[in-house]
Amino acid sequence: MGNDQLSVVFGALADPTRRAILARLADGEATVSELAAPFPISMPAISRHLKVLERAGLISRSRSGQHLSSTLRPAPLQEAAGWMERYRQFWDGSFDRLDAHLRRAASGRESQ
Amino acid sequence: MNQHIEITRIFDARRDLVYRAFTDPDQLARWFGPEGCSVPRDSIEIDARPGGHLRFLMTGPDVSTRVDTVFTEVVENEVLAAEMEAAGVPGVAGPLRVQLRLEFHDEGNDKTRLELRQGPFADGQLGADTRSGWESSFTKLDTLF
Repeated sequence: MGNDQLSVVFGALADPTRRAILARLADGEATVSELAAPFPISMPAISRHLKVLERAGLISRSRSGQHLSSTLRPAPLQEAAGWMERYRQFWDGSFDRLDAHLRRAASGRESQ
Repeated sequence: MNQHIEITRIFDARRDLVYRAFTDPDQLARWFGPEGCSVPRDSIEIDARPGGHLRFLMTGPDVSTRVDTVFTEVVENEVLAAEMEAAGVPGVAGPLRVQLRLEFHDEGNDKTRLELRQGPFADGQLGADTRSGWESSFTKLDTLF
C-alpha cells in the first residue's frame, strides 16, 4: 500500500459514521438499507459514505438481485496499523541495544 | 492505539548516563537504530540546545534515511524535545515530519525511566481536517481486528 493509498484509508476512517459502518460490517455483509437503519441520515448520504470506504479499499460491494451488499475488507486496516507498528519496533530494537551499551559502559567503569 | 507512539522503558543506569547516551555522538553511533541498521559516526552532528540540530544518516539493508532534527526543548539530564524531519522513510513519499519528546526520570537504585512520545504520524500527509478524527479512528480500528 503506497503513501497515497494510506492517506485515503486514514481519511476514510476519519468520520464517525464511516467507522460505525465498518464496525457493523465486521459482523457480516449488509445492504444499504440495513446499514442506514441506525443513522438519522438519508440513504443517499449512506451511499456516499460507502463510496468513500470502497475507494479506500475498506469494503467491496456486490449486487445480489436488486440489493447492493457491502462486505468489509480488513487488509487496509491492518496495513495502516502495521505502518505505525514499524516505528514502535524501531525504538524497541534501539533500546535493546542501548540497554546493552549502558551495561557495557557500567562494567567498563567498574573495572577501571 | 493513537497517532502517537508512547514507550516507557527502564534502564539500569543513572539518569545522566542515559541522557549522555543520546547526546554524545560516539555513544549514539553505538546503539541507535534497530539490529541491522547502523548510524555511521561521521554522519552524526549533535548540538543539544534549543534551536540546535541533531543530524545523522541511518543505513540498513534496503534503506538509507537522512534525519534532521531541531531541538525545541533541552533540559540537561531531564528533557530532550525535537522536531524531526526524515527523508527516504520507507512507505512515505515526501519527508516525514514528527515531534519527538524524551523525558528522563529517576527510578530509584540508580535506574532511569525513559518516557518517549513520538508523533503525530502521517500528519501533513493527511491534512489538518482529518487530524481530529485520527485518534478515534484508531480506537475503533482496534475493535475491528
